[in-house]
Amino acid sequence: MKKTLLKASVLGLLLTGLIVNNSLWAQSDPSGKKRVTSQYAITNATVFTAPGKAGTKATVLIKDGVIQGVGASLNLPKEAQVIAGDSLFIYPGFITGGTDAGITRPADPERPQDFDSSKPGDEFAGITPWRSATDQFSGAASQVEDLRKAGFTIAQIVPDGGMIAGKSAIVLLGSEYSTNVLKSNTALAASFRGARGMYPGTAVGVMAKFRDIYQNTKLTQKNSGLFQSTSGVSRPEVTPTYDAMMEVIDGQIPVMYTATSELEVRRALALQKELGFKLILTGLDDYATVVDVIKAANVPVLISLEVPDDKAIKAQKDDASESAKAQYSRVKEAYENALKQAALLEDAGVAFGFTTVGVKAGDVMKAINTMIENGLSEDAALAALTTNTASILGISRIAGTIEKGKLANMVISTDSLFAEDSQIKHVVVDGYIFDYETKAKKKKGSSDVSATGDVKVAGTWDYTSETPAGSSGGVLEIVKDGSDYTGSITLDDPSGSGKIKSDIKDVSLEGKTLSFKFDVAAGGMNLTVSVSGEVEGESFDGTMSVAQFGSFPFKATLNPTLIATK
Amino acid sequence: MKRMTKAFFAFLIALLPMMAMAQIDGEFVKPRTGKFLLQNATVVTITKGTLNNTSILIENGKIAQVGTSISAADAEVIDCTGLVIYPGMIDGGTRLGLVEVSSVAETTDYAEVGNVTPNMQALTAVNPNSEAIPVTRVSGVTTVLTVPSGGLFPGTAALINLVGYTPDQMYAGFKAVVMNFPSSARRGRFDRRSDDDIKKDNEKALKNANEIWDKAKTYGELKANGAELEYYPEMEQMAKVIAGEIPLLIEVNAAGDIQNALKWIEGKDAKFILSGVAEGWRVADEIAKSGVPVVTGPVQELPTRDSDRYDAAYSNPGKLAKAGVKVAIRTNEEENVRNLPFHAGFAAAYGMGKEEAWKAVTINPAEIFGVADMYGSIEVGKVANLIVATEDPFETRSEIMHVFISGYRIPLSNRHIRLYQEFLERSPGLKAN
Amino acid sequence: MKKINYFLAALMGLSFSFASAQTPKGSVLIKNATVLTVTKGTLENSDVLVQDGIIKKVGQNLSAPSGVETIDATGKYLIPGIIDAHSHVALDVVNEATAPIVAEVRMRDVVNPFEVGIYRALAGGVTISHAMHGSANVVGGQNVTLKHRWGAEDPAGIIMQDAPRTIKFALGENPTRVHGRGRGIQPRTRMGVEAILRNGFNEALQYKKAWEEYNAAASQKGNTTLAPEYDERLQTLVDILDGKIIIHCHSYRADEIYMLINVARDFGITKLVFQHTNEGFKVAPEIAEYTMGASVFADWWAYKFEVYYSTAFNAAILQKNGAITSINSDSAELIRHLYHEAAKTQRYGGMTDDEALSMITINPAKQLGISDKVGSIEVGKQADLVIFEGHPLSVYAVPQQTYVDGIKYFDIKEDADDQRLRVSPTEMVEPIYMTQEDHRCLQDVELSFSDISKSLFNTNY
Repeated sequence: MKKTLLKASVLGLLLTGLIVNNSLWAQSDPSGKKRVTSQYAITNATVFTAPGKAGTKATVLIKDGVIQGVGASLNLPKEAQVIAGDSLFIYPGFITGGTDAGITRPADPERPQDFDSSKPGDEFAGITPWRSATDQFSGAASQVEDLRKAGFTIAQIVPDGGMIAGKSAIVLLGSEYSTNVLKSNTALAASFRGARGMYPGTAVGVMAKFRDIYQNTKLTQKNSGLFQSTSGVSRPEVTPTYDAMMEVIDGQIPVMYTATSELEVRRALALQKELGFKLILTGLDDYATVVDVIKAANVPVLISLEVPDDKAIKAQKDDASESAKAQYSRVKEAYENALKQAALLEDAGVAFGFTTVGVKAGDVMKAINTMIENGLSEDAALAALTTNTASILGISRIAGTIEKGKLANMVISTDSLFAEDSQIKHVVVDGYIFDYETKAKKKKGSSDVSATGDVKVAGTWDYTSETPAGSSGGVLEIVKDGSDYTGSITLDDPSGSGKIKSDIKDVSLEGKTLSFKFDVAAGGMNLTVSVSGEVEGESFDGTMSVAQFGSFPFKATLNPTLIATK
Repeated sequence: MKRMTKAFFAFLIALLPMMAMAQIDGEFVKPRTGKFLLQNATVVTITKGTLNNTSILIENGKIAQVGTSISAADAEVIDCTGLVIYPGMIDGGTRLGLVEVSSVAETTDYAEVGNVTPNMQALTAVNPNSEAIPVTRVSGVTTVLTVPSGGLFPGTAALINLVGYTPDQMYAGFKAVVMNFPSSARRGRFDRRSDDDIKKDNEKALKNANEIWDKAKTYGELKANGAELEYYPEMEQMAKVIAGEIPLLIEVNAAGDIQNALKWIEGKDAKFILSGVAEGWRVADEIAKSGVPVVTGPVQELPTRDSDRYDAAYSNPGKLAKAGVKVAIRTNEEENVRNLPFHAGFAAAYGMGKEEAWKAVTINPAEIFGVADMYGSIEVGKVANLIVATEDPFETRSEIMHVFISGYRIPLSNRHIRLYQEFLERSPGLKAN
Repeated sequence: MKKINYFLAALMGLSFSFASAQTPKGSVLIKNATVLTVTKGTLENSDVLVQDGIIKKVGQNLSAPSGVETIDATGKYLIPGIIDAHSHVALDVVNEATAPIVAEVRMRDVVNPFEVGIYRALAGGVTISHAMHGSANVVGGQNVTLKHRWGAEDPAGIIMQDAPRTIKFALGENPTRVHGRGRGIQPRTRMGVEAILRNGFNEALQYKKAWEEYNAAASQKGNTTLAPEYDERLQTLVDILDGKIIIHCHSYRADEIYMLINVARDFGITKLVFQHTNEGFKVAPEIAEYTMGASVFADWWAYKFEVYYSTAFNAAILQKNGAITSINSDSAELIRHLYHEAAKTQRYGGMTDDEALSMITINPAKQLGISDKVGSIEVGKQADLVIFEGHPLSVYAVPQQTYVDGIKYFDIKEDADDQRLRVSPTEMVEPIYMTQEDHRCLQDVELSFSDISKSLFNTNY
């Protein structure tokens, strides 16, 4: 059965190839966007064909999205457009084991009148294994472009949702003319995230519910088997959840568990040991202390491609007391260990990959360089960006290295990849060449300047807030009204169930700082809630103050408009 | 088999003379005043050492005599042989009388709406018949400061004795306006403001406090010049603080806030008391240098930071006292103010020593509150707030045998004791029907 | 073993088999202490020999086998490790508050061995705590009994693997507030609480029957019966009915306590402990007759309406009526001085030293089903021990050393300032918490804005 599925996906790949070929027969293009040829030769560049291989001067020839050859003396066909690569460095295209770029979370379904938060339907509770990331993905989103610009050519797109968000898929970050889907149903995206205001609301409920779903999928499978083999058996009820979970209990696809901390890693491993599914650990942020546990468990790992910020380290005061200095040294130690943890994984022999979920593409190289400064070898870093992730995703045959017959995915940089001033000049995806401007020397903070100039807040934001009560959230709508802003916010009804809508007032945007207020009537009191924070691109990170009760984190993301729905 | 507590037994015996004097309505025993001679005890005066085989004469609500051979033929004699007598304990910070059932909002009266409400009088809202009062006083706590909380200047605290049926009967001669000093600490685990935001909020609040202070100063100056100003009760009360008529009780806990508060106090003429002071041990020398007295507690409390030693709160009063700070201890409780002796006991065990700990619940708060001429020690002429116990009342196994407050002999009964009497051997029991 | 579905047994077997790797065990000889054994009286000037985590000898003039360290405890008191029958220390999540019954939830899933509260409990002589689900639900989750092996990185390392299963129930204000008032579903009243219980157990009986019928049919040739739906919630209730799980029920009022006793009797449940039980004194004869007793606060009262008619003499009344009685903390603060809380029973009811000490040692051990292993100083028991300066029931007592399985996890002389096992790399300025959130019975309960004030500033035990 496993083999059948593999074959199916290989077939899928072949079909994808056919689509690309088909484009050859396309006719005119009045937009003038169509490329002239699908064959390229990047000549006389320094080519690193795979992690661990030394760079050699060579030419890379590609055609129709496939690498035709790598060598010093290739015969270049007449159709090949030549790109002089003499001063350039070529690496295999990067692969991210997980991304949320271009993903929009589907709207929550309307709650029925008699909604019971103690037994919500699966879709309400964040249990949607039947959902596919492909339905939530827009390749045209700016974050996708950013990701490609950072060198990523293949991404496993991860659906957004609750404890079982759905199935991920592997896509190329390629031409807008292609569907770019390499493989769908690649893994089940799961997390310890509870549902808002309903069962299961916390990690401990999520774990119990996961067991329940798992066991009932097994029973459903057993019952279905009996139904098909024996007459006189009642028709077993197959829910969309159990149906979609079959592949998981059969071991056809792994569960990709988001486990950010060492305790979550242990919890995911404990569940896996108990139930026996195939597991990929993903999103690891804090794992220095469980490297040996990960090694012993021998499960694939996708660590989060970011490093902790150094704000705390910089906040250290020189004139501190002795006891404060002792504290500082512990924070410093924790910080240094956090920077070292990728290197520790390498030392332990764990072939980890990266996930960029929740990570800004623009910060990726800086994070990798920090890891390298803290002991990670360049080879291991490159492997994590290419071959390791290819292997974890099961696409080593077609991606991860520069070899004849593999997909034409490459990163072409102005210097050796991890050199200080190295910049990415081209990214080749699926045989398409994407060009990027390079500058002689990057200006410090230049990106900030442009960002402050154009802060966009109008639109529909999804927000979440953390209160002592747990997380809650809703929709924040901001409308531009001349030079002012107005809008509304939905929130959990304080008097019990459902959502209420409240107008927002005193909306102000100064620089990147967005603030506004709204009123809530609760228990006979009228509370004014003020929210303030910073807008960074399409995310808002702020705090919500509720009268004298305290301040709580308030985060929001601006919904990108799905290309598909346009 | 009945195994009554000594105190309860003593209580029953105590009933006998009362019966003779017709002090019982039905079975109810009232507090009663009179002339009492507590005979032949070990008297721990706090200020004048420990006196053996000593008697105390209570008359007109005061300690009339302390000595080895007091003759008072008309006094009711209470044999205290083998017992110890201490001055009644004073809790330097509670919500006693302002709260009946803390989760029932209708029964809580310590937080008024508004940020600047110094004119709110805790004494007004004290319920003299709160169930918690008799529960508290049988432990030997005879006097408490009852404190409003909430905004920046939440109101005026009052010192009360735990006997009486009107606030005026209870009032023990001291009031203070409360200030919640703007804090840079988090309000709890769920306060996730950034460090910067906390700093900004703190600066803003401090600025606000200064503005109020300056306004009150202006108000006071104009008034002193005979100006006829619009009715402004908040400033009226604040002006009294600035004029030094009413002390300011500053609630402050984090080390940095304490430092800020000391800086804020500098150059101001008013009378100041620090309250809370959970992280006082971090800046004990600075507090000592300032000469500002401290009411600290609760002592049985968690450390304020995860990295702190487990006993940070236990040892805080001792460290403050060693640095030279005048320390009183508070429970910051409502229904369990009765635990004051245990808070003091923990402070004693963790560095303060018994003698200092006793001062911290008797003479020190009396001095800090300016009522040492009436309370805080066993001296002739002081108000008769006394406890008679089998041994050191900080010890849990010690039994409090008699309590006198304002010269009233307090019945050793309360809801807890009555329920014990009713239910120790329930009737009907399991089977009887 | 009862004939439960083999298929399920096979599935579930895994979950019980991954007991942790070997936990560390130590050897030590503690000499010349006043040994308060709790169950075997007080032994002056006596020695206790521990080998491989087990108490091997108790007596005088014992000598240490080679390689075993000797601790001189002259003038000091030695007591069994204190056991807290009600705690929420070391749990990342306390309440799955979203349904009236969440029996399927397991607190062992969310144990956090890094919480500094564990060390602070050790500094107060507490070696075992019962980490409980919160009180938001009529039937809460399954609790976990922890051994305070501070420093263990694997959560399994602090779980007492040989302790029996226990589960949290809750009656009265909390479940009716969270569900009835908060969400508009049953229970809204104490009537509803009883109905939820009876409905749950009756459903569980049907569930059990359905599986028994299925199992019987499935083993026949030509079976055409489908397997019923698997429901760990109901399965857990079945396990309660089968006597495999001890109920620990949050309760305050006498009427609700009596109600649960009746429900338990109707369903043949005997493994029942009441928690808090502020009005337990009113039904002390019934608690003594029909249950495993009550675990109570020493003196908490009046923080909510259902504890207004309380008495600090509760423990003494229960004890004298023959109920197994323990004193617990339910608080990260109180857990640090349970010896002092137990001592309060001497003021409120004149308990003897042994009676008072039994309330924090052997009695909670009985209520957790571990009294054959811990709870007293007896040969053969696990060596959880505390050395005190001063009698442990004195207000001036100071714990000096605390041992779990013969290993010393706390020593006042070696107590470093900063005991945190984990430090955030991104917080140089350590948070200062002035409102210590040490009362967590209703932690994680999702509340609307109107409840925020209540949850932040009022106690929700």
